[in-house]
Amino acid sequence: MLVVGGGPAGLSAALRLALRQKLEGEEQLSIAVLEKSREHGAHMLSGAVLDPSSLNELIPDWKQRGAPLETEVLSDHVYFLTKNRKFPFPITPPPLKNHGNYVISLNRFVKWLGEQVELEGVDVFNGFAGSELLFEDDRVVGVRTGDKGIGRDGQQKKTFEPGVDIYAKVTILADGVRGNLTKTLIRRCSLDEGCLPQVYAIGIKELWEVPQGRLAPGSVIHTMGYPLKFEEFGGGFIYALPEGRVAVGFVAGLEYRDPMFDPHIAFQKFKQHSFVSKLLADGQMIRYGAKALPEGGWHAVPRCYADGALIVGDAAGLLNSLRLKGIHLAMRSGLHAADVAFEAIRSGDFSVNQLHRYASLIMSGGIRKELYPVRNVHQSFARGLVAGLLYSGLALITRGWWIRDPMPTHAGHERVESVKKYYKRRESGPVAEEVKIDRALTFDKITNVHYSGTRHSEDQPSHLLVHDLDICRTRCLEEYQNPCIRFCPANVYEIIDATDGSGGKQLQVNSSNCVHCKTCDIMDPYQIIDWVPPEGGGGPHYEGM
Amino acid sequence: MNLVLAEQHDGILNRVSWEVISVAQQIDGPVKVLVAGQDVGSVAEELAQADVDEVIIIDDADLEPYTSDGHVQALAQAITSEKPEVVLFSHTYQARDFAPKLAARFDRALIADCIGAKSSNGTTVFVRPMFQGKFVADVVSEGSSPHFASFQIGVYRADEVKRVTTNVPIRTLNIKIDSTVIRQRPEPPFKEAKQAVDLTQAERIIAVGRGIKGEEHLALAQKLAKAFNAELAASRPICDAGWLPMDRQVGSSGQTVAPKLYLALGISGAIQHLIGMKGSHTIVAINKDADAPIFEVADYGIVGDLFEVVPELISALGNKVETR
Repeated sequence: MLVVGGGPAGLSAALRLALRQKLEGEEQLSIAVLEKSREHGAHMLSGAVLDPSSLNELIPDWKQRGAPLETEVLSDHVYFLTKNRKFPFPITPPPLKNHGNYVISLNRFVKWLGEQVELEGVDVFNGFAGSELLFEDDRVVGVRTGDKGIGRDGQQKKTFEPGVDIYAKVTILADGVRGNLTKTLIRRCSLDEGCLPQVYAIGIKELWEVPQGRLAPGSVIHTMGYPLKFEEFGGGFIYALPEGRVAVGFVAGLEYRDPMFDPHIAFQKFKQHSFVSKLLADGQMIRYGAKALPEGGWHAVPRCYADGALIVGDAAGLLNSLRLKGIHLAMRSGLHAADVAFEAIRSGDFSVNQLHRYASLIMSGGIRKELYPVRNVHQSFARGLVAGLLYSGLALITRGWWIRDPMPTHAGHERVESVKKYYKRRESGPVAEEVKIDRALTFDKITNVHYSGTRHSEDQPSHLLVHDLDICRTRCLEEYQNPCIRFCPANVYEIIDATDGSGGKQLQVNSSNCVHCKTCDIMDPYQIIDWVPPEGGGGPHYEGM
Repeated sequence: MNLVLAEQHDGILNRVSWEVISVAQQIDGPVKVLVAGQDVGSVAEELAQADVDEVIIIDDADLEPYTSDGHVQALAQAITSEKPEVVLFSHTYQARDFAPKLAARFDRALIADCIGAKSSNGTTVFVRPMFQGKFVADVVSEGSSPHFASFQIGVYRADEVKRVTTNVPIRTLNIKIDSTVIRQRPEPPFKEAKQAVDLTQAERIIAVGRGIKGEEHLALAQKLAKAFNAELAASRPICDAGWLPMDRQVGSSGQTVAPKLYLALGISGAIQHLIGMKGSHTIVAINKDADAPIFEVADYGIVGDLFEVVPELISALGNKVETR
């Protein structure tokens, strides 16, 4: 049994497999988890508010086992922001009520979960990325890990270690949002046939230390409105942890129309809003991170099983965009996948004949119950904030009904408009927004990257494959003014003067800055950027995030 | 007693050992320096110039070539017999190899990559960075001695070591190494990249950043470096562009340096760069942008066009700078 990805979904699957094996005996299973980060949880980034329902099922005695869930949600507030003011929502919308949930650090939670998995004798291989799926015909038979020790010129260095082929009866893909293996499998087996295109958002977060007593631990605040335009989806969040630690972040839909939009700038403007800046005053930013989220919901979830493979968690797009939660669904899908894989092994049949039962468990086991009624919510926000809010309210009464169901939508990279088209009707020209960077409240991307703890071996080929650099300096420059330099939250993409002396421009890819958020893979309008895993162990270090 | 583990390769002392001797001299208690290897007599003579209580030699054929198993055996015996309060060493690649094992052998934590140490009420307090250098934490080791700490390279200054005119005594410690438990069989060492220049050893560094604009202007910086008898270094974009080789890059993905003089030309001072040079003794920055963060760490700042300032500097220097 092979699990690719040591996040909440993958680790839940591995733990469930080990526990069932222990309980039911018989043939000894060999279970392994591959994880590209150096240690448990190092690439984990989320808000995060945890609904403990799946954890209660997987590890009922999590309290005794010291799970890092020490902050119960104390209060919920939702505000609508304008440039200078804030308006509280008269009532907290029911999906945003977090009573009984916990404000957590996903990094610390997954670190703990990884330890629980190892205690059950499962091998978690940190520092190994799954670089490609191994197929026999169209059956997944395992995964090849990435080579180590390839120089930036593509040549083997003296430290070269070839990747390893790991064969498995069932491979559980938990490679996260826009996972590179899941992406290949979906394409190869057309798993998204009949589905809406997946749409995404990018979440940018900082961990702050503020003077104690500023915000009671367990306070949960969400905002809508400023600095986004009505046509744009997203909002801010502020979650208070103990000891003056505050998670402050901003989520922006990766389906914006304005090619000049920069999510990182939007986050800076959010922090500059007097409501937020007062909360952060005299505080210190101690960590930074960014990650994409799958927002498409029920109608964008692909078929999650293939011969020899199951897809779980964010890789499958299991996130409730109305409740802003996915960790519990990721964990639950891991449990379902483990159960189905376990039965498949016992029956000796790892084809879809057995594995399709995973889809039935998703239907019957709570995931559908939660996602189906909100199936059109995110799509409604594509029609603007007002339409989105109206529809979300309606959906609570009608359980998601709409005249056209599924509500049609487009992939984010198709929605972004050319500079010419977008700015034709507008008074202002296409100017990349700027904010004052004071390195106290606001930061530039490069400084932020430093606080993500990101490290990659410098001497390796770029793991961001840009398939046609000509497009960057010609069509893209003309049509979109190179949006990659704006949507990337880590300053990976830079346009510099061409080195050929032509006086033109060229794209420079600073791949060692990459925080593995996947935004470029998602949002590039020509879909010529492929994110593949860098040498294992590289990436951010989201300690405490 | 504070025991410093000096490092040597092929009978040549690693300079960074002086930095750790400097640390040890600044905390309470007598200081001893231990050097282990084969034929390390001349290294010991060199170390005996430091103002310490004594230099201890472990000389054994089984310590050459270096293996962590062999080293840990020898050092563990020395620590058991000498009973130091704290064991200090530089955070070198070699220390990273043997130190965790050595600390584990005594069931003690290793306080790694410290940037300071001080004595407080009879205990030694170690200072180490947290959260990518955002905070520094005071760390006190619990339990009985020995306590183990490694020190970041370049934080203490080798030339601040107190020295004596007559060498301190050198004593040879006899220990037994069981060569059958040495599991490693090292092959000849290789260097992944040819390091043409070791910036960490430079006394003066002229560093260039994006403000230099074009590869053709590097000659100007080179001229200044020559006038100062300094090494030329750069921030990341310059090396990314291939104008200077990677081994001249200063910063978090390049080298960490602490020269006497660091002159930054057209470097804005991204935090990734500052981390690699903020330990320099005197920092001079020339930059057009008065708000550039480099000025926050600079001792002397010139807000201006480097293409005007640098030629002036070169002509003012003329031959005044003595060549060493």
